Amino acid sequence: MRNLSRTYLTIGLATAALAVTACSGGGDDGSSEGDGESYRVAYIARAQVDSFAAWLANEMQSEADTYDDITLDVFDGQANDEIENTQIENAIANNYDAIIVQANNGEAQRPYIQQSVDADIVTITTNPRVDDIEGASSVDASPYDQGAGVAELAVEEIPENARVVVLNGPGGNFHSTERRNAWEEVFFAERPDVEIVAEDIANWNKDEALTLMEDWVLANGEIDAIISMNDNMAAGALEAVRGDSAYDDILAYGVDGTPEATLLIEDGLMTATTLQDASELAELNMSTVHDLLTGAEDEVNVDIGNPVITQDNVQEYIDLYTEAGLIDG
Amino acid sequence: MLARLKALDTGRYSIFLILGAVVVVASFLSENFMTTNNVTNVLRQVAVITILAYGAMTLIIAGMIDLSAGAVMAFAGVVSVIVYKDTSSMLLAILAGIVVGVACNLVNAFLVATLRTPAFIVTLGMMMIARGAVLQLTQGQNVLQLGDFVVLGQGSLGPIPLPTLFLVIITVIVWYLMSQTRYGRSLYAVGGNEEAARAAGIAVERVKYQAFIVNGVLVGFAGVIFMARVNAGLPNAGVGYELQAITAPIIGGTSFSGGIGTTAGTLAGALIVGVLGNIMNLTGVGSYVQQIVMGVIIAVAVAYDVWSKRGKRKTVILKNDGEADGQPPASGEAPVPAGSGTASGRQGKGVSP
Repeated sequence: MRNLSRTYLTIGLATAALAVTACSGGGDDGSSEGDGESYRVAYIARAQVDSFAAWLANEMQSEADTYDDITLDVFDGQANDEIENTQIENAIANNYDAIIVQANNGEAQRPYIQQSVDADIVTITTNPRVDDIEGASSVDASPYDQGAGVAELAVEEIPENARVVVLNGPGGNFHSTERRNAWEEVFFAERPDVEIVAEDIANWNKDEALTLMEDWVLANGEIDAIISMNDNMAAGALEAVRGDSAYDDILAYGVDGTPEATLLIEDGLMTATTLQDASELAELNMSTVHDLLTGAEDEVNVDIGNPVITQDNVQEYIDLYTEAGLIDG
Repeated sequence: MLARLKALDTGRYSIFLILGAVVVVASFLSENFMTTNNVTNVLRQVAVITILAYGAMTLIIAGMIDLSAGAVMAFAGVVSVIVYKDTSSMLLAILAGIVVGVACNLVNAFLVATLRTPAFIVTLGMMMIARGAVLQLTQGQNVLQLGDFVVLGQGSLGPIPLPTLFLVIITVIVWYLMSQTRYGRSLYAVGGNEEAARAAGIAVERVKYQAFIVNGVLVGFAGVIFMARVNAGLPNAGVGYELQAITAPIIGGTSFSGGIGTTAGTLAGALIVGVLGNIMNLTGVGSYVQQIVMGVIIAVAVAYDVWSKRGKRKTVILKNDGEADGQPPASGEAPVPAGSGTASGRQGKGVSP
């Protein structure tokens, strides 16, 4: 009797799960087979817990909704190579017309992206681009250019003989490494007078950067600038010195152009950031996938722009975010 | 040599000796370490993890575990932030965070205590549910512009940071619950030997529900402090915190098999981890090396603790066997009640740091 109940319970739960999946738009709706009327596109997002990746996924979905002939399904790679690879395999097996991959680790996903190309599926890599896959297209924001944009400003702004701290993303992360390379070549090579008093990994996280900065302030005393590979970490480091008059003039540079960064720039707490515009990336991804699916293009490799946000132009972006409901008016 | 080293052992105080040694070495490594500012820093930095660790300790002592603490903390903290932004009421915001923590833990309790599902599996499921819920709620975006809410994480009462003050108050409450109440004694009994506890008339299911509720309150409140400290509602916060929360009590002598553990030991464990992280940051040790050092020291600390108690435990068991009936077992924060420990080995479990 007890076993029977368990069986019914299992069947009930499985049915409910399938119903939820169906209602949320997942799975094969059988609406298209690349017949020129409607296309099924799979977007394998890096990780929904990554605030930029989540923003990009939302923008992708919104942008896809503007196309009558595209149905977009978003899958969460959970910042895990194995999960992301499995999802690419599943998308291939489910005969999607196109697969867009936001790689967690380009090299780990490379063979699976190749499988997608080999299966004659329209394949795009985005944020970051995975290079040298023949037949695959790409839409990206160059992380090197993003780092270089703010680094160029810093060459002029950071005072002579300044003491700076550097916050990096996860070890081996392509975007973090490229942004750091840009800082090295554009800023540190030009400014040998500047001393790095501390540098460490804060894994893109605000709380980890906050803790590091609290300790670095004590260990190093005077710090003139925070150089961060993303805005989240810059914001965390700034929390550690918020309200401390000794750090009123500290400069802080990030990348991403998050809503929080624009507010900090408006308040004069943060100096500059490079916008990695998720809506522009989404717009370009959708137009690219549409062009490839309809045969208007055979292969596309394109980058979005990297506008630098400072106090001079921050209001424009605050208005944008306010309109999008990401910050209060 | 080993015997001489063992002779230096003072049993249940060994973890505090290790903490003392870490502090002494750290003070030689950096002149900034023993400054008021740095001590304040460390105490503020360990507050959230220690509060989570008390919850983990409670469950581990009762023979359970919580893998959902990090995700539930993020869910509770973000809900608290949203409630504050909607109502401007600090009290309502704190209550909302605690309610979310307790609600998630009540679901865990129902599945573990009533349906007898393994806590490991149940809380793993809750970890995914809570993380999914907070991401769905925020659409993956940080909640900003918290206003005065940040006072809870960044404010001070005189020279004492509020998170530190909350930690002190919570430490006293948890210590009282664990060592001075029937609830605490029941918890040790259930974790020590569930069947014996049941035979002794302890309502095992009720005790498990209570343990999860206490954990829920602590996790919810930790979420509130965390978000106030970072001045944002971060839906991706707390990834891996459940393991850090488990690490502190384990270093502090809490037994994974249940029935053993103390509030003071957990506090010491959390401080060891916090001090190590702090001194490595102060001396510029990179994060890769930090992970190696942390792993080695955790393994060595626990191995030393286990090894140093081995001889003592035998002594205590023999001593208890020789004592007159009705004598309590050797000192522990809360000994197993008479009748609940059927084997002498269980009585020995009363010896804890």
